Order: sequence, then C-alpha cells, then structure tokens
Amino acid sequence: MLDDAETRARIKRLIVEGLRLEGVAPDSIGDEAPLFGPGGLGLDSVDALELVVLLEKSFGLRLQSHEVKRESFANVASLAAMVRERLG
Amino acid sequence: MSVVVTGLGTIGPWGTGADALAVALRDGRPCARGVDRAAGYHRRGSARASALVPPEALAAAVPPALGRRMSPCSKLAVGATRLALRDAGLPDRPAEGVTAVALATNFGPSSCTEELLRQILDEGPEAASPFAFTECVANAPAGQIAIFTGARGPNATVMQREAGALLAVARGAAEIRAGRADRALVGSVDEVTPLTHAILDRFRALSRSDVARPFDRRRDGFLVSEGAAVLVLEREEDARARGARVRARIGPLARAFDAGAPPHGWGTGSDALAGALRERVGPAPLDRVVSGASGARAGDRLQARVLRAAFPDLAPVLAPKGVTGEFGGGFLAAAVLAAEGAPFGPTAGFAEPDPGLGLVPHDGRPLPPPGRVLVSALASGGAAAWLVLERP
Amino acid sequence: MRVFVTGIGAVSAMGAGVEALRRGLWEGRAGFCELTVFDPARHRTKLAGEVEKWCLAPFSRRLSRSDRFACAVAAEAVARAAFDPPPETAVFFGSSTGGMLESERFFNNLRSGRRASLGSVASQENHGPGDAVARRLRTRGPVETIASACSASAMALAAALDCLRSGEAEVAIAGGADALCQLTYAGFNALRAVDEAPCRPFRADRAGLSIGEGAAALVLETEDHLRARGLLRADRRVELAGAGATCDAHHMTAPDPDGTGAAAAIERALADAGIGPDEIDFVNAHGTGTPLNDAAEAAALRRVFGARAAQLPVTSTKGAVGHLLGACGALEAVVTVLCLEAESVHPTPGGGRPDPALGLDVVLGAPRPVPGHRCALSTNFAFGGANAALVFRRHA
Repeated sequence: MLDDAETRARIKRLIVEGLRLEGVAPDSIGDEAPLFGPGGLGLDSVDALELVVLLEKSFGLRLQSHEVKRESFANVASLAAMVRERLG
Repeated sequence: MSVVVTGLGTIGPWGTGADALAVALRDGRPCARGVDRAAGYHRRGSARASALVPPEALAAAVPPALGRRMSPCSKLAVGATRLALRDAGLPDRPAEGVTAVALATNFGPSSCTEELLRQILDEGPEAASPFAFTECVANAPAGQIAIFTGARGPNATVMQREAGALLAVARGAAEIRAGRADRALVGSVDEVTPLTHAILDRFRALSRSDVARPFDRRRDGFLVSEGAAVLVLEREEDARARGARVRARIGPLARAFDAGAPPHGWGTGSDALAGALRERVGPAPLDRVVSGASGARAGDRLQARVLRAAFPDLAPVLAPKGVTGEFGGGFLAAAVLAAEGAPFGPTAGFAEPDPGLGLVPHDGRPLPPPGRVLVSALASGGAAAWLVLERP
Repeated sequence: MRVFVTGIGAVSAMGAGVEALRRGLWEGRAGFCELTVFDPARHRTKLAGEVEKWCLAPFSRRLSRSDRFACAVAAEAVARAAFDPPPETAVFFGSSTGGMLESERFFNNLRSGRRASLGSVASQENHGPGDAVARRLRTRGPVETIASACSASAMALAAALDCLRSGEAEVAIAGGADALCQLTYAGFNALRAVDEAPCRPFRADRAGLSIGEGAAALVLETEDHLRARGLLRADRRVELAGAGATCDAHHMTAPDPDGTGAAAAIERALADAGIGPDEIDFVNAHGTGTPLNDAAEAAALRRVFGARAAQLPVTSTKGAVGHLLGACGALEAVVTVLCLEAESVHPTPGGGRPDPALGLDVVLGAPRPVPGHRCALSTNFAFGGANAALVFRRHA
C-alpha cells in the first residue's frame, strides 16, 4: 500500500514524464501548486485527460467520466486524495 | 490577379532551410540513412534506407515548450512555416490580413496513429492516449500551423499522394484569388516510421537497392522521404507594396485523373493526361520541367510518356526526387528553387537511359535563367496535378 | 454561374439510400445500437450509428468499407440525377480515416505474426473513397480528397462549388465517406467526448457525441450544363448557393467558446450566397451533443442571427445517425436538401427540451413544417478549429 508521500511523488513523475514537461523536475512541483490554467503549470483540458489515462494505468484504477472533476484535478494533493480514496 | 511565392521554408533529410536543399540539389547528393528494423516489420531482403530528417533538425524545428504535444509531422510543418514566414519577411503571427492554410500529407502523423493502435490492440481501448489521438489525425499539422500563426482563414488538409503538394498550392492560390484570404501558407509534410517503410516495401514501392533512379533503365522503386516544405503565397501587389522579395509567380494550374490507374500504381493511358496538360498549360515555351519521376518503374514511364506527348519539343527535365526522395516537402521546395534558376547537378541516381522512355533527365550542365518552369506530379492511384512557376 | 444539386445518395445507420434516411429522420427515429463491426467489450461506450451489413452489397470486398459506402452513394446520386456523368466530371470527397478499419486488422495480424494480406489494405488512405468513385465512374477531371476531419466533406462541397463556378468543370460529384474504426472510437472515448447513451444535441442534459458511419454524395451541375441537358426547370431545384470556411486558430480540440470563427464561416457563406442572415429559414447544425460544441455553436448562431436566433428552427441530424466525421458535411447537406424539398425540418430525436442557456429554437418531437422556406444553412466544425458553412437555396 502506497503512503501519501509516495503517491504524490509518483503523480509528480507521471505529470512530468507523461505530459512531457521538459526541464521540470518532479519534486519542484508543489503539492498545492495549481496545475491548470494560467499561473499554474499551465496545463489544459487535453493534459487533464491524458493524466486520467496515466493515473488509471499507473494505479490500476478505472475512473468514470463523472468522477473526472475539476476539484480533484486542482493540484497534486487533491489528485493523490482522489487516488487513495479510489484505491480504498 | 497575380499570386506570388514570397517565402520558402523547408526541413528535410538535407537539414534545415532552403539553402541546405539547394546545395544537395546542386551536388546531386541524396540523403539516405538506414531505417530502424528492430521492430521486425521488415521482411528479409527488404529495402533498408529512407531519407530521414536528422534528429537535431527535428528537435530544433519548434521550441520544446511549443512542441510539447506535437507529432513529428506537426513539428516539421510548424518549423517549416516559421522558416517560410521569416524568408518572406513576415512575423510569426502576421498582424494584418487573413491567412489561409492548405497542407498536403500522405501518411499524416503516422507515429501517433501507430502508437494509438498499439495501445488499443495491446493494452485495450481504455489505454488510448488523448495526446496520441489529438495528434494522429491528418489535419493536426494544419491546425497547429493555424494556432502558431493565428491563421483564421480557410484551413484545409489535402491527401492525394504525389499530387497533394501541388493541389495544396492550387488551393492556397484560389483562396487568395477569391478574396477569401490575403495570404496562404501552403505545402506538404510527412513523417516516415519503420512501419510505414516496411509496408511500402511490401507493396514493392521502394527501391530494394536503396537508390532512387529517376528515368534510369535500372530503376526499381523510390526512396521514401520525410520532412516539410511550406510556401508563403500572397497577392503580387501586396508583396511589392511591402518590398518583399518574390521567388516566383504562380502560373497556370491543371488537375486531372487517370481512372485506369490501379489504387497503388500508375496507368498507361497518357494521351488524356497529356491533352489536359497541354490544354491548361498553354503553348508558351517552357524552360524547365520539374518532373515527379521518383524511380518508380511505372510512374517514371508515365511521366515520360505524358511529357513527351504534351511537348514534342521538351525542355530540360529535372528529376529532384533522386535527391529529395518521395513524400515530405522536398519536391515542392525543389520546384520553387528550380523556378528561381538554382543550379541542379547531374540527376542523382540516373546513369543509364531507358530506351523505352525516350527521355533523359538533366545531366547537370548549366542552364540559362528560366522564365517558365512546369512542375509535373502524377500520383499513384491516378490523380495528376501540374503547376507552372513563372519568373516574376 | 449557379450550381444546382441534381442527385443525392446516402448510406447511414438508417439504411441504404436516401429514402431510408428520409423515412427514419421524419419518423423521429435514432439509429444507434451496440457495435458489431468490432468488439465493443473493452471500449468505454458501446453504441454507434452502424451501417447494417446488407447495405454493403454489391461492391467488391477488395474495397475498404468506406470505399464501398462511397461507391454506393455515388451510384445512387448518379441514378437520381438520371444521367451518365461526362468524363470531365470532377470528384471532391472528404474522409477522416479512409480504410482505417481494414488497416487496424492488418496491423493486428502483423503484430501477432499472423498473415497480413496486403490486399486487405489495398485502399487505406483517406483518399480511397474519392478515388474509388472516380475510378468507377471513369472520370478524367480533378480528383481531390480533403482530410480536414469533421469539416472534410463540407469543404469538399465548397471545393466543388469553386471548381464549377470557375469553369474548370461543369459537373462534379462531391461527398464524404467514413467507416467505424477502433482508432476514432477509442480516441473520442479517451477524450471523454462520447455519450454512453444516444447523443442529445442542444439538450441541457447533453453528455457527448455518438459516433456513426456512412457516406453521402451530391451531383452538382452548372446552370448552363442543366440547360444544355434540357433540364433547367429551376422549379423546386435546390442550389448550392454559397460556402464559407475559417479556422478558430484557438485550440486543437476545444472550439472557441465565443464562436467567432464559426460565426465568420457562416457570414462568409451568406455573403458568398449573396444573402443576409434574415433570409436563412432554418439551420442544419453541426450539433454533436458535446457540452462545448453545442454551446460554441449556439454562440456563433446568436452572433450571426442576433435576436432572431431564438426563432430560427435548428436541427441536428447527428441526433439520429450520429457523427459521421469526415462524411457528416455531405450527409447533412443531403438532409438539408431533403428538408428544403419537403418544406419541413426533421426533428432531432430523443425528446426533452432544449437547453434554455443556448437560446435556440431546436426542432424536437415532431417534424416542423416550414412552408415557403427557401434558404437553409448547414454548419460543420472540426478538431483543429476548421469551420465550414454551406448555404442551400430552393428555387420555387
């Protein structure tokens, strides 16, 4: 069972590698730093959808469309919370 | 209304920029490299080489942040667009006027298509990557060009094999003449993957000796190429008004079809094609022909027959695909360079005339500056397109 | 030089032929059922507007599924036009994936070490359908395929209009064809753009698009050519009066929410037809049923038609047959012609009420009679932001 810190670290690696953020070190992404929109990492809707697929593959989840909510995707911390909740 | 070419941008196996291509054409030097056959798609005895874009040229095509989600096709297309606009003395995002886009491709962003199919077939549909899907569609590069340059005019992607590039030029010119755009970014782009190469080889389209020999007796197929070429087209009066350098004027255009051609080959019926060509291009003398002959046995034969039937007194015939390979942007870029009088060396790959063709391509001797150059594209599958480029 | 529609052909989830399409649309039916052309088991959704097997006869199995659709609709359009197209006929087609279904099977065999027959991918690229039509009809005129996704066949129609107006040809066959394939089905699902249930364009509870397949073709002739055939009775003939195209240059998948690019395409089409917005009597919308598309399209319609948008009948054929991708422009053009001829706008199936936030008069429930209505607009908007609009005018 992954602990919270490992979950967050894995998610940060997925973001950097999976979304091809060259030159961004995973541990430079703050847990609460906004991922989407201006002022954050600047990711957009297609990045969000790619991240969903990456999370599903990496954690063995299946996320229904109605679960893919803006609030869960706000930052790494909220993503980690969603993943841990789904994994039970 | 006179429409002119004011910019040429190209990235290909020869490197980045029109000058690099001009050197390769002058020297008659093809740029083939080995294809990665590790995936096992290739059969024993298959062709082994392709004209591939050097990795550093692809990497430099667009800044990494911009190209983050782009397929190689999109990177090449946007990269060539940047070069073309710079060549035309225009900014990346021209502030005034409406820009149309017309881009041809043969395989589209095939690396993304392959990646997506592998995900679907090996891991299941739920593993399909949104990145791969949004970029795998044939019209993705044209969409990326529009976003990059703020091109809000008509935006079209044309697929018609070897005739596609000229059809894209015709489309762009038509948008300007109809008043639907003030300028047009037109061209062609392709990427070559090991899978694409292997499939072309299975269709016996590629030269098994890895040498493209246009019009040569020993020709046995083409060398497949990747890359992009983009031209900036605009009204001649606009170009003159802003003091832009004009590379060439768009002259008569013609399109036709040979219904006798099989889906992956060329037909033998040259008379109707020659008639259409002669009728549209008109009687004024030509100084050069830039022929789409690629080393394909039937394709080169049809080129020779059509050109000889249409023009009994045939001008020197250039066959740049000995250098540029087939697909990508090389042919279109070479055509513009030819229209400007760039020196072409001996036809790469050609050494032994084919007695059945009655046509020998250019041997590299210096030629006088051209006034009218005919560009001739005969696609496998039957489509035909011709364009005359005139000295401005 | 006016350009008239003299023949139409269609293949869709409603069946083979224009009659089957007309009956299905006016009866308010929707043609969605569980996919059979490939196994839907592991896909996120299961439904599609699939063309029934029997509709594929009698064309050669060596042609791809999309080629066969194209040949069928071209044959029907030519039969309805009641003449043999001359050799100089031009062919303009649109497709988003061509023979991808067959390519998928080929690739699957290749990857599994099974025998992968080249014959099965004899016609794999997007220009397969258009070329197949030109080959069958033995034409010599221009042949061109546009691969601009969801706007492809609308742009093919626009290209045909240009070609005929310029005098390059007097007759053109314009259309589109696309077959279901795993690539697009899984791809749109990866974007979470597909509704599990049949799509509900313009409804408040719309949840995505439905994917369909099929083809449509229109025979277009210049006025002069019709006159030479002794057939210029403009009576009830429908003219392809105008076309317009723009690009959002905004985002690779999301439409510009303001609808400015889409509105500009519509305005260009109106200007090209020589009419103002007040003369449009109804709209065959792109209407995919995704939250974003329908909202952006409504914004575009409100931009062009102003307050009148709320009283302008709008319908979505996609609600009945799904999104035919590269073929939707041509199919929806055929439906627009049917609506003009019948002086009736078919309903978007599925009942319910239109989303009040959109401010549109969506035709739901029953067909809407539009007696005396003469001009109609058909719109299509593609990934990558390519927008296309066509104007049709019925001559009374």
